[in-house]
Amino acid sequence: MAITTRDRYEQIKRFEGDLSQCMKCGFCTFFCPVYQEEFVESSVARGKNMMIRELLAGELDYTKEYADRLNKCTLCMACTTNCPARANIPNVIVAARADTVEARGIKFPYNIVYRWVLPRRTLFGNVVRFASWFQGIFLPKTEGTIRHLSMFLSALGKGRQIPEIAPKFLRQVVPVVNKPPAGVETRMKVGYFTGCMTDFVLPDLGEHIIDFLNRKGVEVVVPKEQGCCGAPVFLGAGDFDTGRKMADTNVKAFEDVDYIISDCATCTSSLKDYVKFLADTSERKEAYTKFGDKVKDISEFLVDVLKLPASAYQPASEVKGKKVTWHDPCHLVRHLGIKDQPRQIIKSIPGVEYVEMPNADRCCGMAGTFSIYYYDLSKKIADKKVEAIESTGADIVVSSCPGCEIQLLDGVIRNKMPVKVMHIMELLQ
Amino acid sequence: MLETKLISQLQKIAGKEAVLTSKEDLTTYSYDGTTTWAHMPDVVVLPTTTEQVSQILKLANENGIPVTPRGAGTNVSGGSIPIKGGIVLCTAKMNKILDINKTNLTATIEPGVVLQDFNMALAKQGLFYPPDPVSFFGCTLGGNVAENSAGPYCVKYGVTKHYLLGLEVVLANGYVMKLGGVTVKNRTGYELIMLFTGSEGTLGVITKITVKLLPMPPARKTMIAVFDDMEVAGQAVSDIMASGVVPAKIEFVDNFVIRRVEEMTPMGLPVEANALLILETDGSPAAVEADAQQIVDILKKSGAKDVKVAKDANEAAMYWKARSAGFAAVFGAAHTVMAEDVAVPRDKLAEFIRRLGEISKKSGFFIQFLGHAGDGNLHPSIFTDIRDKEQFARAQETMAEIFRAAMELGGVLSGEHGIGLEKQRFLKEAMDPVAIDIMKKIKGVLDPNNILNPGKIWEEGA
Repeated sequence: MAITTRDRYEQIKRFEGDLSQCMKCGFCTFFCPVYQEEFVESSVARGKNMMIRELLAGELDYTKEYADRLNKCTLCMACTTNCPARANIPNVIVAARADTVEARGIKFPYNIVYRWVLPRRTLFGNVVRFASWFQGIFLPKTEGTIRHLSMFLSALGKGRQIPEIAPKFLRQVVPVVNKPPAGVETRMKVGYFTGCMTDFVLPDLGEHIIDFLNRKGVEVVVPKEQGCCGAPVFLGAGDFDTGRKMADTNVKAFEDVDYIISDCATCTSSLKDYVKFLADTSERKEAYTKFGDKVKDISEFLVDVLKLPASAYQPASEVKGKKVTWHDPCHLVRHLGIKDQPRQIIKSIPGVEYVEMPNADRCCGMAGTFSIYYYDLSKKIADKKVEAIESTGADIVVSSCPGCEIQLLDGVIRNKMPVKVMHIMELLQ
Repeated sequence: MLETKLISQLQKIAGKEAVLTSKEDLTTYSYDGTTTWAHMPDVVVLPTTTEQVSQILKLANENGIPVTPRGAGTNVSGGSIPIKGGIVLCTAKMNKILDINKTNLTATIEPGVVLQDFNMALAKQGLFYPPDPVSFFGCTLGGNVAENSAGPYCVKYGVTKHYLLGLEVVLANGYVMKLGGVTVKNRTGYELIMLFTGSEGTLGVITKITVKLLPMPPARKTMIAVFDDMEVAGQAVSDIMASGVVPAKIEFVDNFVIRRVEEMTPMGLPVEANALLILETDGSPAAVEADAQQIVDILKKSGAKDVKVAKDANEAAMYWKARSAGFAAVFGAAHTVMAEDVAVPRDKLAEFIRRLGEISKKSGFFIQFLGHAGDGNLHPSIFTDIRDKEQFARAQETMAEIFRAAMELGGVLSGEHGIGLEKQRFLKEAMDPVAIDIMKKIKGVLDPNNILNPGKIWEEGA
């Protein structure tokens, strides 16, 4: 039996400032998507924070109930944004999840997924691929072109409706180096962090982004060594050890580029979060900081770095004359403060009518593993989003987070709405 | 711990999911907005109907189990702390707006409706419910009635009790009693609605509320005035009130809060100012214009260093956000924050501020305060640490001095927070002993087994 010298509250203690900042006013109840469905105090930042304080005080322990209450948070940050004291309780929750994992371990089958499958890109791909062979055989088809996901994710996702696995992954169809076409001058070199969803499910989107950037004079490198961003592992499950391995892999994969662009809000935010949660040594701190600073969301990159003129945003043929609304991914609008850039892009597209939806920045309820653990709750949160989309009368709801897009798609299909869900880059020619 | 049999009976009444028993869940119903008080309940029940509330109380009454009613737990008096354990009866899931009647100018709501949700639903119809405790994002209407809550708007519009037309109350024995109705006038018998208003959950559980409404004022204007001297600011408030104009709100913020708020969310507040008054007028556009001009003139004459009228709704919202962030600035400032809630007559504001200065000097405690200057309800706070016994005792003594200073000026112990646990040690000094005795007798009639929020308002055995 190994004797551990690790502090039981090691990670929480790193965020004691946030932990003590809450003065229990209860404002967060109004903004918390989970509390607004459940109306119990353990759903909301104030309650979770108080449980964590009591854990530190020795009054509570790492029980199943404690772990469950901690997991029941989408990390949407609505509490923090609206907190009069700016208490960042999501920080505390992620840290508390990490300490819980150290104390309790991760249960089957999640342990296999987090520790073995997600960190190994090829294995992950093969598992997804293997499962995809069977999805059409064993699982019922749903309306349109949408099928139940592979058995693998389906087993975890309890029948969530998401797009089918692509026949060929992005990594298999594009080269590592993608130079601008002849006659277009190369302005800069960026690395493309493809994320699992774009890689496995939406390779067309990935190809389109590379092509778009090439045409604007950007050389795009797609390192084969890159892996999952780690969000489900270190943010969702609190497995910081595996998270560090994944972070190190990604940092190494993107060593010599000017910027690292991502089409997924969650990936973008998580890559930047390495330094906050995973930097356990000064070397890692330095490497993660440097890495995180280079990471840009695609819309932020087009608007703030490339500074493309409005004329650069021409409509793809299928969106001409359509009414479009925008859903703010939590990881963009609150975690990174990116709100205007995507709207600016959509509003620049000629022949597309932009309409703002009510509470556009309200969480859609996906939140990765949250929606696997709590699918019913996740659906209820999504239904409020679906209602907001419906009220706009939009033909297309746009976002820039494949996670949100799955959730929106699931919500739209469940509610039998004739609304298309698209990534912002799919709007562009 | 409660017997398993009682737990299963509660589950039978309200449903399994509505009964919380894990230590983790109970922890989250052990506190309110104060920094001093906490106590674990034995069980939490979240009923969804009046009938369930009735059966829960009946069960508790028959078995002598304490019941602490709770809305959102945003109160700052210790009022919703289950100090005797037992059942926390949380009304958060009874949150339907049952009726909004634009012709009658009334609304009927369940107790768990959150004030801000109610305000938003009313605004859609051009209606207005003025009582505005600063906790509006969290607090429930049921809690507002039980605490007789109020906020900045009370300068012009009064407090919760001025808007109540009807209540449905479940008594300790489970009987469901209807009081009042939907008419503005009602002279039938004693004003029993007032008995339950501000009763802090000690006399019954409120399950339905009918309030009167106002049309939304078509125009409003926000002004701020900067002062070098807090007493001068206090006098300016008296001058305004004496001038014949009644602003909707007059709020007072001191230098500590200005600095802290500016640190938390930089918005360009005058960090050098020793006091800031934030005022609002509302009404017809012409009246608002005229009132604003008159207020600006008086403020300047009263010695304000700078007076500004917000040029648009955004600027106005910024100042009000600064005000509402004020309590966060205060409550986050120390391990234990003792917040007073005294109210003094408006013409004694400057004098009271002067006395606070003296008490601060004498005691060595920094006394921070912000509050609803327009109604004389300031919230002087002392920063201390309950773990430091000697210092905490001195802080308590200093609080007593502040309270006594307010009383000498004709003020009251609690303007809006209620007594709860936080202020009960002062009750005997603040209220006629015969009146306290009558309160106890009323409690005895309505709750003979003392199950409803026991241990609150007056000290036991005293």
